[in-house]
Amino acid sequence: MGNREGRDQYELDATSEHGGKKNDKKGKKGKKDRNLDELKKEVDLDDHKLTLDELHQKYGTDLSRGLTVARAAEILLCDGPNCLTPPPTTPEWVKFCKQMFGGFCMLLWIGSILCFFAYGIQAAVDDEPVADNLYLGIVLAAVVIITGCFSYYQEAKSSKIMESFKNMVPQQALVIRDGEKNSINAEEVVVGDLVEVKGGDRIPADLRIISSNGCKVDNSSLTGESEPQTRTPEFSNENPLETRNIAFYSTSCVEGTACGIVIKTGDHTVMGRIATLASGLEVGQTPLSIEIEHFIHIITGVAVFLGVSFFILSLILGYSWLEAIVFLIGIIVANVPEGLLATVTVCLTLTAKRMAHKNCLVKNLEAVETLGSTSTICSDKTGTLTQNRMTVAHMWFDNQIHEADTTENQSGATFDKSSSTWAALARVAGLCNRAVFQAAQESVPILKRGVAGDASESALLKCIELCCGSVTAMRDKNPKIEEIPFNSTNKYQLSIHRNANPSESRYLLVMKGAPERILDRCNTILIQGKEQPLDDEMKDAFQNAYLELGGLGERVLGFCHMPLPDDQFPEGFKFDVDDLNFPTEKLCFVGLMAMIDPPRAAVPDAVSKCRSAGIKVIMVTGDHPITAKAIAKGVGIISEGNETVEDIAARLNIPVGEVNPRDAKACVIHGGKLKDMTSDQLDDLLKHHTEIVFARTSPQQKLIIVEGFQRQGAIVAVTGDGVNDSPALKKADIGVAMGISGSDVSKQAADMILLDDNFASIVTGVEEGRLIFDNLKKSIAYTLTSNIPEITPFLFFIIASIPLALGTVTILCIDLGTDMLPAISLAYEGPESDIMKRQPRNPKIDKLVNERLISMAYGQFGMISAVGAFFTYFVILADNGFLPMRLLGIRIEWEDKSLNDLEDSYGQQWTYEQRKVIEFTCQTAFFISVVIVQWAILIICKTRKNSVFQQGMKNNVLTLGLFEETALAAFLSYCPGMDVALRMYPLKPTWWVCALPFAVIVFIYDEIRKVIIRRSPGCWVEKETYY
Amino acid sequence: MEQNSTAGGATEQYHGNYLSNPAVTAEPRREEEEEEEEEDDDEMPAERKNKKSWGQVMKELKLFWWNPETHAFMGRSGKSWGLILLFYTIFYSFLAAMFTVCMYALLMTISPYTPTYRDRVVPPGVMISPRVGGFDIAFNASDPKTWAKYTETLNAFLTPYNDVEQERKNVACTPDVYFKQDDREESAERKACQFKRSSLGNCSGIDDPSFGYSEGKPCILLKMNRIIGYLPGEGTPVTVSCEALKGDVDRFGAAEFHPYDFFNLMYYPYYGKLTHVNYTSPLVAIRFPQVTTENPLTVQCKLNGKGIKSDSMQDRFLGRITFTLQIGA
Repeated sequence: MGNREGRDQYELDATSEHGGKKNDKKGKKGKKDRNLDELKKEVDLDDHKLTLDELHQKYGTDLSRGLTVARAAEILLCDGPNCLTPPPTTPEWVKFCKQMFGGFCMLLWIGSILCFFAYGIQAAVDDEPVADNLYLGIVLAAVVIITGCFSYYQEAKSSKIMESFKNMVPQQALVIRDGEKNSINAEEVVVGDLVEVKGGDRIPADLRIISSNGCKVDNSSLTGESEPQTRTPEFSNENPLETRNIAFYSTSCVEGTACGIVIKTGDHTVMGRIATLASGLEVGQTPLSIEIEHFIHIITGVAVFLGVSFFILSLILGYSWLEAIVFLIGIIVANVPEGLLATVTVCLTLTAKRMAHKNCLVKNLEAVETLGSTSTICSDKTGTLTQNRMTVAHMWFDNQIHEADTTENQSGATFDKSSSTWAALARVAGLCNRAVFQAAQESVPILKRGVAGDASESALLKCIELCCGSVTAMRDKNPKIEEIPFNSTNKYQLSIHRNANPSESRYLLVMKGAPERILDRCNTILIQGKEQPLDDEMKDAFQNAYLELGGLGERVLGFCHMPLPDDQFPEGFKFDVDDLNFPTEKLCFVGLMAMIDPPRAAVPDAVSKCRSAGIKVIMVTGDHPITAKAIAKGVGIISEGNETVEDIAARLNIPVGEVNPRDAKACVIHGGKLKDMTSDQLDDLLKHHTEIVFARTSPQQKLIIVEGFQRQGAIVAVTGDGVNDSPALKKADIGVAMGISGSDVSKQAADMILLDDNFASIVTGVEEGRLIFDNLKKSIAYTLTSNIPEITPFLFFIIASIPLALGTVTILCIDLGTDMLPAISLAYEGPESDIMKRQPRNPKIDKLVNERLISMAYGQFGMISAVGAFFTYFVILADNGFLPMRLLGIRIEWEDKSLNDLEDSYGQQWTYEQRKVIEFTCQTAFFISVVIVQWAILIICKTRKNSVFQQGMKNNVLTLGLFEETALAAFLSYCPGMDVALRMYPLKPTWWVCALPFAVIVFIYDEIRKVIIRRSPGCWVEKETYY
Repeated sequence: MEQNSTAGGATEQYHGNYLSNPAVTAEPRREEEEEEEEEDDDEMPAERKNKKSWGQVMKELKLFWWNPETHAFMGRSGKSWGLILLFYTIFYSFLAAMFTVCMYALLMTISPYTPTYRDRVVPPGVMISPRVGGFDIAFNASDPKTWAKYTETLNAFLTPYNDVEQERKNVACTPDVYFKQDDREESAERKACQFKRSSLGNCSGIDDPSFGYSEGKPCILLKMNRIIGYLPGEGTPVTVSCEALKGDVDRFGAAEFHPYDFFNLMYYPYYGKLTHVNYTSPLVAIRFPQVTTENPLTVQCKLNGKGIKSDSMQDRFLGRITFTLQIGA
């Protein structure tokens, strides 16, 4: 695992063995870490268990008159305003500096400073110092500044988590103080205040409900479940998040009214804790930046090693200390790949753009690769895996379970609609239903239409509309006479309609509700349109069907009806819903309908692709375990044939405790259970189960799960759409938010946004991420290759005292000129094999730049390239009269400006300037030779294993790159004025071809190497040369 | 080495292990390390790496240097080192052989008498003697110590021009025509024309061993750079002229030239070191008898003739030479 200190800092405190030591060292940091740790614990509230009297005692609030104004002011002073405190923000200039001085930039800065230093030495010693080092220093600094500004600009757009939270907070609140209702600024609400909310309001603080009237709240931002939940004063669950009598800060009241006592304000509220957690979490390095850091280590190692060796060598050869230091600096700087930073940035940007086309919007450039390294995906259920739309999935009538079509585009299964029982069931479902389509949506597909009403009723409405045509028409034909809405005591909903069917009675009673309650009220059942007595056999069948559907995680509703006999209920009969002057028992059972939020169509395929790509897909949801498990099975997160401990227990008919947990590959963990687990137990769990579903998890637990996986060394992607997911999204190596359904907060916390909300887009992301990792390797291998021909001239200048074969200007022409586009073009290279069939890379072993890549690029390709270029160099000098033997040791004379009659091998005499022209011509030729060998290197680097003939030359950008670098080289050589501007001179045509044999050799050599690797996998050649 | 059969490039295989057994994969890492990189801690594969203490780093470095368990030196076992060194020995031998072959072919195709291209060495540069350190000639006429170095240099420079030497080795040629010897075989030795020291008169150092320095009327020798096959002046001899550029220009007076103020055509063309063994470059000795200032004078002497370039901005020694004269009493 790379250096992830940042990530660890607060974890350490949690584990006792490290905690103490660490805290001593950084007291301030430790304190902050403890705070975050505190936030990660579950919400600890007991106010929901208190009676109203106890509440009164605890908060000193008069339950009808509220706090006194004076008391409220006192508390406000003490607790501070009810608002979310933003985390201490890093000033912009610090962020800018981070971009300027981070990682690779530092390497270039050091190089630049060394250059200035070397120039300083030269200037002090020499009257007319060579300005090369000065220029190089300036260019290096310019490269860093430009790329730094670019990445700063890229990053500047990101993270505004707190701002997005603030948008959720209400402005005003209606409080009762001194018995008077006041609308005050929500920030002034204090603990103990009596607050009134009504439909449409946002809850101004965490409230303990003391009275309510049909109040429903939308807790989706907290739990991710979009269905409105009832709020009443009664205590219904131990878990404060699930109990009915607490309403949470910033959630909205959908309908009804309620009155409650404020129990928490501001940052102490449940939402406040999530906000603080999400914005306060420190995000570690991305896997790519770890790789780049590792790369810098290698490069620096090689540079320092070479530099020091030649420093010592030059001292031995009799150079002065100052000269040796200038050489040392020169060698170190020559090792810095100036263009690489820009290349990597551009490659990532290109991939980010390509991903954006495929609906993955990447916010942080380095995150492009992260998805490719991902080994675990923790996915939220609702909205990500599922359609976030209740849909009728099954029906039970005629003693048979029928499957309804749940796909988004109605391509799924259909069932037999001819049975008259179905007609009756559809009629009950359509009539006993208060949901209506919103106006003016005729052109919208039924499933996508907006509906006013709760989720189940909408599901029924859409189902009936789909199967049987317009429900509105049905309702018009069978006008509603009376109705009893659903309430939690009787658990049914009933309505009486005028019957449009003349063959039946005048009035029709329809009822739906909890299946067992409905069944209790029935004594007959409709089979094939015939009423039959409800015998025990039938009841058993009902039970089985009910259990089966319930086991699928579906919400089941029972339906019954009764044609009210005309004799008892004549025309104009006054139905009284309070006195119940009509039968509500001995009805006729029609059937069951079961609803579920069905998985998105593309998800199962995407999950299986992830699986074949070696990525664990984990579901983390706030939903019920049964539903979660059903969906998990539906989408393949729990694959077919894999059982949980409970499944095994049920199959073998033994208690759960007797099952060896190791036998079960899959497991479903309830949040309540997770709460009691130690981190060791969690580690154990994560290690030994491959298919895990976490249900009923709180936002904090999602975070803990992510951290658990990260402890295992996994690179974790988290997908989510809700506010509740934001801490996990932030903590994950890559957080993926949903573009359409996702909340603003989640998008801010994420690194990537799926514009089409489609989980399948993640697969594309993984593919692109893996591809860019491979291609970056190729790109780096290509770029590093030219490093050797860039360094060796200087080395030979020192040890053999020959004229310098490649100058600073020409080095920069290679690094920032000709190498640039070809290196970038490798980002467009297609995959060599099916990259989705292999395992995710192991961040510990599979490095971006490993010593094999260095060995290949430096030790082999680079050397061939250098030899080729040196050959050209000797050819030119020999052609002009300086034979190789003459050159050895010529340096002192050659560089002597006053020596203007230097004799060559033929006895001709050269002025200083004349031989410098030759030298610069050689440098131009050396440069062009490098470009020529780089042609072959570029083609070689297209593949790491396949032959170029297998891969083809389909990459047009690369082909363009080949022509571009050649054209650029020719331009630099032949353009008039270049001799003055860059000291590059035109070459004779024969000098172009000198390096060609070496280009051919390097190509043949590498093809042979690849053949060996392909023929005998695992052989020595592969072990030593496959990067 | 052997136990790590999956090491190296077989990345696919690592991944297979990785999910199920991270402890196994930590092992092959041993040989993945290079140079100063830190090793990961095998005992805690699941732990995120924390900032290591200095001692830990040293311990790891030591282990990396020599691992007694695997007998690995710098992360490689003896056999592994042997193989990789053998590989690189063969690889570089091959490369060296290829380079040698190329160089051999190059030297085979290159003429030993005439370089392939001479376009960079024309037009000729100009040099003077004495050149001691730079192009400043500063001395006090009355103090021999200040000019001894110049006369010594001149004497040494003129040794090959001694009359005896010239008469013995070289021939007397017909003046004012090029002495072309192209009719001979390329490898045949060419004759060189005599240039006698005595012809330099006051500047020969024969009569006045101080070359005029003792009188404050110093001599310098000017020569044109040798270029194979070059015919300066295209038929008319290249002349030499001098002028003062800076200083008390009025007190420069006029220069004297010996033997003439031009380079006689008979000394050209030059046929190269290999065949034109005894060739001695013709000289123009310049004497400054009328300098009456003790302040530094910047003097420029240049060649005049067809094909001679003496106004190059880049090359201040092309067809001209600039030096300073400071003649004290």
